[in-house]
Amino acid sequence: MVTPVAAESAPTSARRRRTRERIRAFGLPILALAMIVALWWLATVLFNIPTYLVPGPDLVVSKMIDLNSYLAEQTFVTTKETVLGFGLAILLGIPVAMSIARFRLLEQMLYPLLLAVNAVPKVAIAPILVVWMGFGLAPKIVMVVLLCFFPIVLATVAGLRSTPSELVELSQSLDAGEIKEFVKVRFPWALPQIFVGLKTAISLAVIGAVIAEFVGSSEGLGYVIVQSGASADTALAFAAITLLAIISIVLFYAIQLVERSLLPWAEENR
Amino acid sequence: MIEVIGVSQRFDTQRGEIHALDRIDLEVHENEFVTLVGRSGCGKSTLLRIISGLIRPTVGAVRVAGEQVARPRRDVSVMFQRPALLPWRNVRKNVLLPVEMLGLDKRQYTDRAQALIELAGLAGFEEKLPHELSGGMQQRVSLVRSLIQRPKVLLMDEPFSALDALTREEMSVELQRVVAEESTTIVFVTHSIDEAVLLADRVVVLSPRPGRLERIVDVPIPRPRTLGHNAHADQVSAISAELHDLLQPAPQVAT
Repeated sequence: MVTPVAAESAPTSARRRRTRERIRAFGLPILALAMIVALWWLATVLFNIPTYLVPGPDLVVSKMIDLNSYLAEQTFVTTKETVLGFGLAILLGIPVAMSIARFRLLEQMLYPLLLAVNAVPKVAIAPILVVWMGFGLAPKIVMVVLLCFFPIVLATVAGLRSTPSELVELSQSLDAGEIKEFVKVRFPWALPQIFVGLKTAISLAVIGAVIAEFVGSSEGLGYVIVQSGASADTALAFAAITLLAIISIVLFYAIQLVERSLLPWAEENR
Repeated sequence: MIEVIGVSQRFDTQRGEIHALDRIDLEVHENEFVTLVGRSGCGKSTLLRIISGLIRPTVGAVRVAGEQVARPRRDVSVMFQRPALLPWRNVRKNVLLPVEMLGLDKRQYTDRAQALIELAGLAGFEEKLPHELSGGMQQRVSLVRSLIQRPKVLLMDEPFSALDALTREEMSVELQRVVAEESTTIVFVTHSIDEAVLLADRVVVLSPRPGRLERIVDVPIPRPRTLGHNAHADQVSAISAELHDLLQPAPQVAT
């Protein structure tokens, strides 16, 4: 009558260990953040730094509270631009990557071009986009797409090319045809790498939206930062930057969540 | 069931042309178990791929069930050295992959899948993902998958060579038990003499560079065969010795 006890206690201790790991994974970064904010606050008080240069965290927080509905609106605008551009980049990038991975000729034609386009500093294009498309939503989305497109294409091509030869031979030996092979083998195999590309792209997407707002906009967190600079309202700028960071982090983890639930096998496999 | 007629194979590589196979003629009868043995580089895997239709021979032809092979056939199944399982599919779904790929009716094969899974000793693992299984278990799944569509011919390319020695022996014995219930013609590539003698009705010996058919050795030992102590130890060792001599010619000693 010893076995049932042993059989029960093993998974319980494993679960307890997992909970402990999870607490660490969240708790430790939060602890570090709290320490940095405390140091920041201490520094502003101890060295008596003027608030228009570096406002203390208390000022930033009170700014957020005072202007909460305004800032929420601006956060929504920037998030909308980011998500729309990111979604469009996926819709464009994955088919392009599929054609590049499939057709050698297209690869030879398009790949150098893509590399060249990617080498252009996107900030340099931003003012021209304003000339072409004005101050609306369009130039922001285009900017986001420009930044996201390349990492998505690159990762997808790499993923689609990484199908192990034995799986290719297997589906050939079943005379499956290219479409079934793609749907059942190549594409699912590429997904973990596609997600690497998506996670790179999402951080760039936020940057793209902010750049586009810097050059020509009347709303969004990028616009808030530009305006606060003009009126030396540094606390407001810090509040906007904090919100941008939060957007970035939330979107990143949202993608990671989708990845984990969609590809539970991937983590163990690679 | 399988006829290999005057097959030669050349590959163009960067270091020049490789003559992999040279005028191979071979006939494999229905429900026969033939092993192909030879040293590495004798083109035994190439011959297997030609029979499967994955490679077209430079010269010659292959017929399966009386029809010339131009591309992979639906009634010929291949099992590879690596398990080649899809990591996102559990055991049951991996086993049913050929059914989906061949566009067959899945409902008609679910019972068979379960029966084969149990026959191969995988009962209770139906919902496991490949990474949760040992190498030997993964290769069992691969075997079951290659049998699911009731192939007339099963081609096996060193399927147990990546396993440890003990698992390997166990798998060879298991393989006989599993295929005994199926009526399948099997061509099995290996470089292990023990495996060849244990499994085969006939052992086909290939010589390397270019691969030529050196000899065909009959193995008239009754089944089921086992390893270790058995009644036919003398016969086994005689055949093994003959294969050893063929594959590793004695060093030339001056007399």
